[in-house]
Amino acid sequence: MKERRSLGELVTGFTGLALTLLLSFGLVVVLIFVLSRTPARTLYFFFVGAFTNSYYLGNMLNVAVPLVFTGLGISVAFKAAVFNLGGEGQIYAGGLAATAVCLALPAANGFLGGLSALAGAAVLSGAIAGVSGLLRMKWNTDEMISSFLLSVAVVLVVNYFITGPLDDPKNNLQSTLAIGAHYGLSGIFPPSKLNSSAFFALAAALLMFFFVYKSRAGYEMRMCGQNREFSRYGGINVSKYLVLPMILSGALHGLGGGLMVLGTYRATIEGFSFGMGWNGIAVALIAKNNPLGVIPAALLFAYLDAGAKAAMINSDITFEIAAIAQSFIFYFVTARALYSLTRIRSRA
Amino acid sequence: MPYLEMKGITKLYPNHMRANDAIDFSLEKNEIHAIVGENGAGKSTLMKILYGLEQADAGSIALAGRTVHIRGPLDANRLGIGMVHQHFKLIPEFSVAENIVLGIEPRKNLLFVDRNAAVQRISEVIASHGFSVDPRARVMTLTVGQMQQVEIVKMLYRNVDLLILDEPTSVLTEQEIHRLFETLRSLRRDGATCIIITHKLQEVMEISDRVTVMRKGKVIAVRRTAEVTKAELSRLMVGRSVLFQIERPKNACGSAVLELVNVTLKQRGRDRALLDAVTLTVRSCEIVAVAGVSGNGLGELEDVVTGLRRITSGRILHNGEDIAGLTPATLRERGFAYVPADRLRRGSSLKSTVTENMIVTSRHRFLRAGFLKGKKIRQFAERLTESFSIDGGPRVPVGTLSGGNIQKVILARELASDSNLVIVSEPTWGLDVASSQFVYEKILEMRKAGAGVLFISSNLDEILGIADTIAVMYRGRIVANLPNLPGLSKERIGEYMLGLRDDFAPAGAQRKDAPA
Repeated sequence: MKERRSLGELVTGFTGLALTLLLSFGLVVVLIFVLSRTPARTLYFFFVGAFTNSYYLGNMLNVAVPLVFTGLGISVAFKAAVFNLGGEGQIYAGGLAATAVCLALPAANGFLGGLSALAGAAVLSGAIAGVSGLLRMKWNTDEMISSFLLSVAVVLVVNYFITGPLDDPKNNLQSTLAIGAHYGLSGIFPPSKLNSSAFFALAAALLMFFFVYKSRAGYEMRMCGQNREFSRYGGINVSKYLVLPMILSGALHGLGGGLMVLGTYRATIEGFSFGMGWNGIAVALIAKNNPLGVIPAALLFAYLDAGAKAAMINSDITFEIAAIAQSFIFYFVTARALYSLTRIRSRA
Repeated sequence: MPYLEMKGITKLYPNHMRANDAIDFSLEKNEIHAIVGENGAGKSTLMKILYGLEQADAGSIALAGRTVHIRGPLDANRLGIGMVHQHFKLIPEFSVAENIVLGIEPRKNLLFVDRNAAVQRISEVIASHGFSVDPRARVMTLTVGQMQQVEIVKMLYRNVDLLILDEPTSVLTEQEIHRLFETLRSLRRDGATCIIITHKLQEVMEISDRVTVMRKGKVIAVRRTAEVTKAELSRLMVGRSVLFQIERPKNACGSAVLELVNVTLKQRGRDRALLDAVTLTVRSCEIVAVAGVSGNGLGELEDVVTGLRRITSGRILHNGEDIAGLTPATLRERGFAYVPADRLRRGSSLKSTVTENMIVTSRHRFLRAGFLKGKKIRQFAERLTESFSIDGGPRVPVGTLSGGNIQKVILARELASDSNLVIVSEPTWGLDVASSQFVYEKILEMRKAGAGVLFISSNLDEILGIADTIAVMYRGRIVANLPNLPGLSKERIGEYMLGLRDDFAPAGAQRKDAPA
């Protein structure tokens, strides 16, 4: 019954979203007509390009995978009315942790080694986000600010490892040593980069859905998010649910980063998580913080990204113009979403 | 001709309650005028209308013979009307001077705030009225009494000559009250006019020239203070008894379920204790009512007994064991049920469904390996919504229900489990007669089943109808603890509530001097 209600919310949420999208798509069309000498071709690749061949399609789906994790991480925290703005650093740290574990156990069994790499990613990033939760619990420090500042510092520390102790001297790219080939996740849609991490993303979304709506901890967490005074009155340990959702959110971000390393990059490349924390927030807001809604929301984001890339390669528009077109849509969607964010925050 | 004349003021609230019902109120120039009345009598509403915070649905206001329209506090200030709210509106991090000039700062070169000019002008105001605050001090370092002075100076700085004070004494110590009254007298000497809202008749007698008594949105009487007695005012305030149809079968009380021994609660920065050596016992099969006017410690009593607030000293015993400092969760495991006065923020989560609201205290009973048993929960919620006849069903968000139905959701949840101690606070506040009757029946059922009931309420009629024992709180102290016998009248309890009677006064004074 609860999940039926949340699915209902999702549907009403999507009608509003559809209008927003239509409006922003309309603006993109106008923009491309103004800026492109071959508007029809540009529009075709912008909106349909992602589906023209298996390479584009697979890459688009692969871009969606980490977005699912970051979107889930933000949604879960939102459900408890805590806010994690440190996603970028947590993804980055997760990637580094996975890389470090793989490099430390070069002879291990690929399956177990891969699992320990992901566990390492989840633990490290969960701990980083957990610090902000603890600060909020102990001294009422705004977790929004502290997680963001912490993330900025974490990015610099990870950069140090990439260019210092774990640097690959043979590679011109700023990246760590590559992990052993046996740790890599198998591709599922060659020649694209799509790999089995997609199944992890689907499983994570399902798991989080059951956790949030069916488990006792999920119930307690949602009650804390909806009314902390009521939760305290009802005997829920409200301090716990300032920390736990942050840890969970950090761990999900870390898993996203770890899977990107195992599935796509096979090393931690400098700046690979740049901007991903914000995209996660946008995905969560589009999904209205419903774990199952995160999947279509991540796909929408990936689709826009793939469209911009395809238009860039196959028509006369430059990277900048593609980026402007893309950000038109982002602005509209996040403006709408930010409106609901401020409402959530004033409530909490 | 009166200085201020409010005529036929009517204010309807959305639930069709007449907060003010055709009120005529007039004020002479240069008097101190007290407005008294119980909670919900409409005093604050009337003053909010005068200060422009609320708009009347009917009626007119004339100031010095001229009809005025007051659309907001700025209009009121321009007309020379100022208000000091019960809860101060100050920015703790700012200095006294910055708070006072906020919004009308003196400028230097049209751009910069001229701090020195501000401090100088404020110092003049402070000196001329004998206040004791430093304009450069930060507000967060001040005592409550000084903060109130800042609020008054803020109004004087804006050249206000009609000052409204909403329950100004409720947070003050005796000495601070004395100082405040000195200030009011000095303002009167300088030609100002004051309205003071209060529950405390002693203060009315001490400070006011005239007094207006309000009850249920109407003006009941206007008297010269010199020509009225406290007993008469008390009678006018509480009105005639309403007969309640509560069948309360006699039964013998059992052993003590809840005992409070010298429970004291103090708040940092406040000299006055919120709860002052409260001693009280609730036995099984007994309903102990605690009566009092708001601001006298009822809310704090509710908080400390339910574990939501830590006491400063004293002991709270449940079945003989000390429970001070235990969490609400532990107390619930021990068999506490609790229906809070604040039902919209504390008692329910408005965004959550009826079902989600109902299982918050019993969620442990529906677990399988950390997951909730959906079917069991559904049956539980359906059974409760049916037996308490809650409209809307178990799946709608609680916020969509009416006030009476929200209260039923809370009662259903709290009374569904086997409890040995039921704490209810203002359980029928805002409910109609039928819903109230239902609440009384449920509480009597719990009593019959052997629970002890702590019944906190400011409604004297229901207290006289339902309680076995009646205690009264005044300024954080228990001033009466009486068995509810047929001879006990509403007037007598009213006198305790308003501070006219005090059964424990000498003992209370001694306790204060004794070492803790």
